[in-house]
Amino acid sequence: MKRRTTPLALVAFVAALLLALPALSQQDMTTVPDEAFKTRTRPPALFKHDEHNEKAKLDDCTACHHGEKDGKRDPGADTSGIPCSDCHAVEAKPGRTPLMRAFHKQCLGCHMTQKKGPVTCGDCHKPVK
Amino acid sequence: MHALYDLAVGPLAWLAFGVFIIGSVYRLLAMRALALRKDGAFVAYVSWPHAFKSLAHWFTPFGALGWRENPGVTIATFIFHICLFLVPLFLMGHIVLFDTFRGWSWPALPDGAADVLAIVVVVICAYFLWRRLSVPEVRFVTSAQDVLVVSLVGLTFLTGVLAYHRIGDNLVLTTLHILSGEAMLVAIPFTRLSHMLFGVFSRGYIASEFGSVRHAKDW
Repeated sequence: MKRRTTPLALVAFVAALLLALPALSQQDMTTVPDEAFKTRTRPPALFKHDEHNEKAKLDDCTACHHGEKDGKRDPGADTSGIPCSDCHAVEAKPGRTPLMRAFHKQCLGCHMTQKKGPVTCGDCHKPVK
Repeated sequence: MHALYDLAVGPLAWLAFGVFIIGSVYRLLAMRALALRKDGAFVAYVSWPHAFKSLAHWFTPFGALGWRENPGVTIATFIFHICLFLVPLFLMGHIVLFDTFRGWSWPALPDGAADVLAIVVVVICAYFLWRRLSVPEVRFVTSAQDVLVVSLVGLTFLTGVLAYHRIGDNLVLTTLHILSGEAMLVAIPFTRLSHMLFGVFSRGYIASEFGSVRHAKDW
């Protein structure tokens, strides 16, 4: 009896967690997801998704969640919900943008053009308070 | 401050690298022309074998008599110069800027190691500064410019260390770090920091004269 219920409960729990994860990851995320990196040189960049977008007045998801067409960034496709690391491998093939560069270009690049938001290493990569 | 940071990592960075490279080439060519005009005879006795042999000795710690006179200074000098090149060229933060904006990447030192080596540079800079001002025979050959360039190197590394440890306002410290680094690059061709360009040639010249004219060692 015991043997059957425990795995079942575990499966149900994992399934519930997986279903809840997309919702959780957006509202409650405090940092840029860095699970894809095998080694970490700095703490993950602080990033509160909803708070950031409210402050930056960002409604268009494709500003970050862009697609790809012929090896170029395609702002027409909305890729919300797909992890960045699905397309941006940590060790990318030549001509592709590796994950770290993708993150830096996305955050730092926008902060530089908008002249707003953190731009130094230490202003993003710091321990979560 | 954001605008100043943009300026420092953008146009001023290009300007600094440009002045450093073009200035260095100009200074080397101008020095060559001056040497040919004032001491054209040296061409006859320039000897590459003597020059390389002497350089090998002077690039080895305690490999020359001059290095054995003052062991503390010798050790500090070697450690200082090794860290001075190693840290900026292989620092993760620097490589990330090239990676993000140019797509160039190369292996980096572990952050912890780079941090220790950078602190070593700051400490040795402070020692050099103290030496320049306090040791009589060194003070005698010290000009205001020498104090300034050692301070500039020290400031560049100190602000880098502070920014890494997130002490003080990070944007202010990082901007100050970049600006002082750029000032250092610009200063290389036009101050005593030019020993980076001329050092091997002066040593080669002396070695040639000692080797092929006086038949003596210069190490």
